[in-house]
Amino acid sequence: MSNMDAKLKPALGFLTVVEHPQYGLFGGYLVLNIAGRPLEFHCTAPIKPNRAQEILYGPTLPSFLYGEQIGQTLIQQATTVPLLVCTDQEPALAAREYSSMPVVLVLPPNGETGGAGETVEPQAAGDRSQVVRVDAAHHGPRLVTFALGRNRLALPEPAKEDRGLVTARLAELADSFDLAEPFQRIRAAIEEAQQAVR
Amino acid sequence: MSMHWHAPTPPATTSIDLRIEAAPLLAPWNEFLVRPAAVAVHRWGQDACPAEAAEHACPVRVVSIPIQRPAVRVSSFTFPEAKMPAVPEAERREPSAQPHPIGPPLSHTRIKPPGDIIKLADRLHYVLQPSLESLLAEGSLSFPFRPFPFQFEGVAFLYPRQAAVLADEMGLGKTMQAITAIRFLLHRHEVRSVLLVCPKPLVTNWQREFGVWAPEVPLMVIEGDQAKRTWQWSLADVPLRIANYELLLRDRKLLTGPAPGGDGDESAPGVHFDLVVLDESQRIKNRFSSTNEVVRSISRKRNWALTGTPVENSADDLLGIFEFLAPGFLSAEMKPRSLGRTIRDYVLRRTKDEVLRDLPPKLLHDEALELTAEQRESYRLAEEEGVVHLTELGAAATIRHVFELVLRLKQICNFDPPTGASTKFERLEANLEEIADSGRKAIVFSQWVVTLQRLAEQLDRFGPLEYHGRVPQHRRDGIIEHFRQDPSKHVLLMSYGAGGVGLNHQFVNYVFLFDRWWNPAVEDQAINRAHRIGVDGPVTVMRYLMLDTIEERIDRILQEKRDLFDIIFSGAEGRRKLGLTQEELFGLFRLKCPSEPIDVAA
Repeated sequence: MSNMDAKLKPALGFLTVVEHPQYGLFGGYLVLNIAGRPLEFHCTAPIKPNRAQEILYGPTLPSFLYGEQIGQTLIQQATTVPLLVCTDQEPALAAREYSSMPVVLVLPPNGETGGAGETVEPQAAGDRSQVVRVDAAHHGPRLVTFALGRNRLALPEPAKEDRGLVTARLAELADSFDLAEPFQRIRAAIEEAQQAVR
Repeated sequence: MSMHWHAPTPPATTSIDLRIEAAPLLAPWNEFLVRPAAVAVHRWGQDACPAEAAEHACPVRVVSIPIQRPAVRVSSFTFPEAKMPAVPEAERREPSAQPHPIGPPLSHTRIKPPGDIIKLADRLHYVLQPSLESLLAEGSLSFPFRPFPFQFEGVAFLYPRQAAVLADEMGLGKTMQAITAIRFLLHRHEVRSVLLVCPKPLVTNWQREFGVWAPEVPLMVIEGDQAKRTWQWSLADVPLRIANYELLLRDRKLLTGPAPGGDGDESAPGVHFDLVVLDESQRIKNRFSSTNEVVRSISRKRNWALTGTPVENSADDLLGIFEFLAPGFLSAEMKPRSLGRTIRDYVLRRTKDEVLRDLPPKLLHDEALELTAEQRESYRLAEEEGVVHLTELGAAATIRHVFELVLRLKQICNFDPPTGASTKFERLEANLEEIADSGRKAIVFSQWVVTLQRLAEQLDRFGPLEYHGRVPQHRRDGIIEHFRQDPSKHVLLMSYGAGGVGLNHQFVNYVFLFDRWWNPAVEDQAINRAHRIGVDGPVTVMRYLMLDTIEERIDRILQEKRDLFDIIFSGAEGRRKLGLTQEELFGLFRLKCPSEPIDVAA
């Protein structure tokens, strides 16, 4: 571990976004210690893009909402600086631009795409069957996928240098740590929070 | 942040008039062609616009569309672990040596917050925890056997609750689930002092089970003379005490008066517990009983009840238990369905059919038998005499008189008093021949010790052992072990009262109900002593029922009680009125009911 790593709390951040058909997007960010116990939880009030945002951000809207509006806000809200941030939502990878930590995508364990070092084309967020633009200019970056222990991970191509950092920081945990599991907790917590508001 | 959209600078325009001359034709409309035709060519471009042209361009209105990024409202929750120092490197587990807490256990059991936790932060405290399996692994809590997923669910149900009833059917491991939940709370320092109360015959069983499932938890059995018990109650830092119900009644003052060995402050509670667990909690079903009163008076923070039969006779049984768990939560006026809805979040009830699909089946055989001629004659005489007697008593007849007659008739159904003739015995003997030949074992239940003793005499060749109220407590464990180990012992003769609860007989494949108990819950308990986890084959249950006798009539009432249970715990619609009413008891003999209130049989 580098000197900087030594200062980091041995914790992992988990960022996800839940889309509610009526209320919009709820962001949740859970920081766990290496034993899997919660240290902090932050969640957003629902966010709904207005029409102008939809038109002008176009296909880049999800990464703006997930990564900048939600991801950046939540990560900055936390007092614990984790080793890295995991997300299960591809557009949330954009949070990397506003974070000093690597942001890595956790892929479904038995997905069909991706292998060690393989690259895959990104998918649009939201309704993935809907094609907004045919020119590739506004799609997100290609993903570089790789396996780490029992987890399948991906990084955006421009951030592929993070792979070394991710590998080093997850070295001890990757075999046994199910990085997909905490997202279930966040969803359950967001559900609880919604019920509390109603 | 806002962005403004500005229209681009309009392109300059260059116009060239070609002024092509047109030759007029000699036609009437020539006069309209005096203006020569003109063709204009416009060339667009930044550099093509003369300065003067731009000066004459119309001003362009700019519309700004704000793309604001509103502040995102965030709710934050910080957990106690965040303030603790990081897990030292030395304490981190080698991933290869032991599964990581978040590792892939066979099941992920979530701890859900109970409905009575209102505050969001408190609810999230549970929701955001790892699975129960991970937490147990984190605390290095190992198990001698791998629990079933439904047992983890039972632990996850108990753990967050201040008040809970674990009402699983017999044989699903309530003991193990309660022990694991207690162990978990102790390890997490969420409780420091636990009192477990059980019937006296089960104290040894609980001790043994704690030794198996939580060997590291220090426990103390409250026992001995008054001086010893006073000392035991007064000890601090005892994580777990086990006491029996009878003893609580004797030590009432110690429990509820000024603290033993305290400074004499009369207002201070005697002994405080973070958790009180009542096993076989049907013992407090009567909310006006001394036992109910004394357990309610114990100072405590949490309370759980364990029972396979939360309703034995009527919905009032639940009221008694809830008066201990959450006083005032239920009212006597509640209808069974409403009661069922109200308690839903507090009661966890699973049956073997629901959760143990791989458990060998329980085969029920109701054997309807005819009385022998001798029995029939004795029965007829006794019934006639009894009914005549009751009729003569008229309004003076009490429920006690009816019970006396019922018991007398039931005894005749077992054995004819003058001759000893018994159809049931003949059937039992024949059945036991087959069981002994196959090297199997059976338990025979009766409500009378005299019946059991008579059976013991007549079944000598099957190596009968007796287990009932007249067998001293200290010999009972030895009898069970003897029965288990000795291949020549094929039959255990048990009373419902002594052998119905808390014992495990997975090595038994046959259960006989020689006579029927007053309520089906007690019968089910007896049956489930053998039909439980670990049983090595199907369990055959033979219920003897004498046709055209009081037994047949009682059987109909037992069925009604099963209906009551279904209404409360499954939400099913009831078919008939509930419980054993005074009218029904008198109705057994087609007698009119007097107006005296009754105390329904246990």
